[in-house]
Amino acid sequence: MTNAERMLARKPKTWIMNGIFTAIVLIAVIISFQGSSINLLRLQTIGINLRIIGRQMIDINVDFFFGRGVYSFQEGVIYLTIETLAIGFLGTLVGAVLALPFSFLASKNIVGHKVAKVGEAILVAIRVFPEIILALVIVKGFGMNALTGMLTIGIHSIGMLGKLFSETIDNMDKSSLEALEAVGATTLTKIRYGILPQILADLSSITLYRLDINVRSATVLGIVGAGGLGASMILSAENSNWDILGTIMIAIIIMVLTVDMISSRLRSKLV
Amino acid sequence: MTKFTLQNGKTIVKPFNKIWLILGIVTALVVIFSFFIKFEPRLINLSELGVIIKKMFTPKAGRTWGDYFGFINNLWEPLISTIEMSLAGTVIGSLMAVPVAILAAKNIFKSQWVYVPVRFFMNLIRTIPAMLLAVLAVYFVGIGVLSGVIAITLFTFGIMSKMLYEVIETVDMSPYEALESTGASKVQAFRYAVFPQVFPVFLSYLIYIFEINVRASAILGYVGAGGIGMIIKDNILYNYDRVGATLILMLVVILAVQFFSNYVRGKLQ
Repeated sequence: MTNAERMLARKPKTWIMNGIFTAIVLIAVIISFQGSSINLLRLQTIGINLRIIGRQMIDINVDFFFGRGVYSFQEGVIYLTIETLAIGFLGTLVGAVLALPFSFLASKNIVGHKVAKVGEAILVAIRVFPEIILALVIVKGFGMNALTGMLTIGIHSIGMLGKLFSETIDNMDKSSLEALEAVGATTLTKIRYGILPQILADLSSITLYRLDINVRSATVLGIVGAGGLGASMILSAENSNWDILGTIMIAIIIMVLTVDMISSRLRSKLV
Repeated sequence: MTKFTLQNGKTIVKPFNKIWLILGIVTALVVIFSFFIKFEPRLINLSELGVIIKKMFTPKAGRTWGDYFGFINNLWEPLISTIEMSLAGTVIGSLMAVPVAILAAKNIFKSQWVYVPVRFFMNLIRTIPAMLLAVLAVYFVGIGVLSGVIAITLFTFGIMSKMLYEVIETVDMSPYEALESTGASKVQAFRYAVFPQVFPVFLSYLIYIFEINVRASAILGYVGAGGIGMIIKDNILYNYDRVGATLILMLVVILAVQFFSNYVRGKLQ
C-alpha cells in the first residue's frame, strides 16, 4: 500500500451519519406532502390559470397607480408606496434610537457580564414576537393606520438592532478609551472621541441593512391593518383583482430593489 | 469653514464634516415621511391595549387556567404541520437554489451574459414577500399545508441563492485550478475543490434559514397556508385567551429552534 492509499483508508466514515440525516429529512418532506391535500384536477389547471393571471397582472391599472379617476389619491399606489417607505424608514429610525440604550445594557464591555445577560434576555424577548403578531396587538391600541405599522417595525427592530449593536460595542478597541482616560478626559469626552468614532460607521451600516429588511416587511403589515400597501395587496389577491395586484407588485419590486441598491451602495461606502 | 494659522505661517482649513450633510438628509426625510404617518389622538386607546394583553394571558370568563393551558393539547397537530412545512420548504428551496447560485457566481461562470440575468431573476424573486407568495399559493392549490410548502420553498430559494453565490465567490480557487491542470474536468474540479469549501457553509445557512422559516410559517397560516397561524386567525376576534395560549407555545418553539440552530451552527464552524 502506498502512503496515499493508507491515508485514504484512514478517512473518517461519515456516510452512516449522512445517510441517517438524509433519511430523516426525506421522511419529513414526504410526510408534509401527504398531510396536504394535493388535488390532481387543480394541479392540471395551474398551468392555464398561471397564464391567464399572468396576462391580467401585466395589464397594470394606470388609474389605480396614480390614484385618479375612480380612485382617490390616498387609495393610489403612489401614495401607498410612500406610506410604506415612511413606515419602514421612521420605524427603523425609532428602532435604532431605542436600540442604543438597550445595546449598552447588553454589552459586557460596558455593564459587565451579569447585567449583560439580563439585557440580552430582554432583547431576545422582544425579538421573538413575529412582526404580524406584534402588529395584531398594537393595532388594538393605536388603530388601523400607518402609526401602528411604524411602532411595530420600531419595536421589532429594537430586538434585532440591539443585538447587533451590542456585538459591535463588545468588539470595540478599548485602548483608545484608556488613552483618553490617561490624559484626563471626562466621561462625555470619552464617549464622543473614544467610543462614537469607532462604532458610528458600523452602527449606521447595521441600521441601513435593517432599513432594507424593514421596508420589505412594511409591505405586508397592511394585512392586519397597519398601513401601507399590504391591505390592498391582500384584498386584491383574495378577490382575484389581478390587474390591481400586478400594479402593486410592480410598485413593490421597484421600491424594494431601489432601497436595496441605495442601502448596499451606502454600506459599501461606510465600510 | 474654520481656518487655523499655524506658527510657521501655514493655514489649515478644517474639512467639511459630512455628518452635517447626512443629518440634514435624514431630517428632511423624517419631515417628508411624517406627513404620511398621521397621528390621530382619537384613534389611540392605550387602555384598550392593556385590556387586550390582559385578555390574552388570562383565561376567558367562565374558563379556568386548566382550560387555558389545556387548549395547547389541540395545537400539536398544527404545530407539527408548521414544522413540517418549514422543513420541507427549506430543504426543497435550498436544493433548488444550488444550481442557480452556481450560475450566478462570477468565478465559475465568467461571462456576464450568464450571471447578470441570473442575479436579476434572483433579486426579483426575493422582492416578493412570503405572505404574498402564500396568498397566491392558496389561490392555486387551496387552503392547506401544501400552499405553505410552496410559499416557503420560493422564499427559501430567494434567500439561499443569494447567500450561496456570495459564498461561492469567496472560495479559494487555487485548488480548482490545480485540479484542472492535472486533467480533471470542470465538474470533477468543482466536486473536489469548490464543493468541500462551500458545503459546511451551505449547511449552516440551511439551518439558519430553517429558523427564519419556522418564524415565518407560524404566521403564514394567517392567510390560509396551514399550520399554527390559522388557529390565531380563527380565534383573534372572540377568544383572546386561546390566541395567548397559542402565542406562548409558538414563542417556546421559536426559542427552542433558535437554540438548536445556534448550537448546530456553532458546531459546524
